[in-house]
Amino acid sequence: MNASTDLFDSRALRYIDCYGQRFMREGTYRYHVLSRQEQGLESREPCTIKVGPRKGEGKNGSKMSQHTVQLRWKKGRFSSGSDELEIEVGDIVLWNCPDPAAPPYEIVGDQEFFASARMVNECGFTHAFGTPGSYAWADAHGSKLGGVVHVKEVSCASRDDLAQWQQRLSKAALVMIADGKVQPPEIEIVAGQTVYFAIVTCKGMSITDKRLLGKSGGAGRGGHAANCA
Amino acid sequence: MATILAAIDEGGANTLLGDALASIPTLSKSGSGSLGPFTAGYSVQGTFAGGTVDLIAPSTVRIEHLRFNWQMTLSFGIDLNDFLPHFCLPQVCVDIPCVGHVCTPKICVSWPTIGVSVPFGDFVEATADFGIDVSLSGGQWKVQILVQNLSQLQFGPATAGILVLIGAAITPLLLAIPFIGPFLAVAVDLILAAIGVAGLTGFLGPILSPFLSGLKIPVYQQDKHFKFLPASGPVDPDVFIELDAVSAQIQHSDEDELVLSVDISP
Repeated sequence: MNASTDLFDSRALRYIDCYGQRFMREGTYRYHVLSRQEQGLESREPCTIKVGPRKGEGKNGSKMSQHTVQLRWKKGRFSSGSDELEIEVGDIVLWNCPDPAAPPYEIVGDQEFFASARMVNECGFTHAFGTPGSYAWADAHGSKLGGVVHVKEVSCASRDDLAQWQQRLSKAALVMIADGKVQPPEIEIVAGQTVYFAIVTCKGMSITDKRLLGKSGGAGRGGHAANCA
Repeated sequence: MATILAAIDEGGANTLLGDALASIPTLSKSGSGSLGPFTAGYSVQGTFAGGTVDLIAPSTVRIEHLRFNWQMTLSFGIDLNDFLPHFCLPQVCVDIPCVGHVCTPKICVSWPTIGVSVPFGDFVEATADFGIDVSLSGGQWKVQILVQNLSQLQFGPATAGILVLIGAAITPLLLAIPFIGPFLAVAVDLILAAIGVAGLTGFLGPILSPFLSGLKIPVYQQDKHFKFLPASGPVDPDVFIELDAVSAQIQHSDEDELVLSVDISP
């Protein structure tokens, strides 16, 4: 991976990205994990998330449990560990494919709220920034939402420096998006840290590196205007 | 049978051979070789220059400080996984208001293989002992000197700086790799140490040495059926003589001379 590919886009997830979706209603939700190379969806069996009633407190006394789905890329297809996942209302499911050789992919659910390329309510996107610089991002679906991530350079002259840096990597920076606002619009992290973009309420947006959107900074792929602002 | 003798002293030989070296066109070669732990491709070209002639009886022409000026482009790939530590982004957790504690999984980084291409140049010098070769081929006499012995190559001062050039070529490539920042200096140092000056001269020596060891310098060339006098009229045609034998040797009297002896007949 080099600087020209150190881009971020919730519409095209890479191995250093995660997509998380919270399920607030009971039901059965089907989804596919698709790369741009894949075709012939009709022949594929979807994965399923069965959302049942909340039975009590989640882990550590919270009202939410997290379920992490580690995707595998093999023989030209993505697969999850199991095709069916059972969770409770309010739980969050987090997807990540840790294979650097996997192509960019998206999570495509069978309902409008459930899609990494166009994120709606109670979901999130994470990206680990590995190269120093200032990264402006915007919504590829045309809303005015956007921000900047400033990534500071790190140099480690000793093992202690390295240990301190790695300690810092375990802390993410949080960007909250709700009611048409981004808070904070600008954040500063060090190279290697992760930013978690938490979308509380929105009618459909992406977190897209502005370099991918051209001069207009407007809708790129899948130009579906959103009303988030 | 008559014999023509021509002789040049060391000063004349310096001029003759200097001109002959300068007339040799640019030589070039490409291939691959071991550069430390890497397999490197190269393309090199160069020209000869300089040298001091010492004529040594009976048949050795020694050129000291024979110089070969060369320019090379070196290309090789570096699998950074061989030099950088295994690195993983740790599990990262955030507390999202009204939602709860969310964590990403540990994600391990795979370092890429980078391609490096470095142009550079310098010279090598050696002392070469040439033997005299006389041959008749295709109706033409040819006297040339061929390398019979070559001293160890002495590299010019710029060669030691090639490692610095390689480091300078690698650094911007590494800078573009995400997450490498804290490991950058270590990576460059390890890569250059893996090559080392010994690896570099060990790589260059076998590539450059054949240019010198394979050197042939022409001294004299003439048709066996030699036009001695051109025609000067319809009744005065060209006059030819035959060069029946040619020999060359170094003779020492009050000074060393390269003596060319040509037996002629009408």
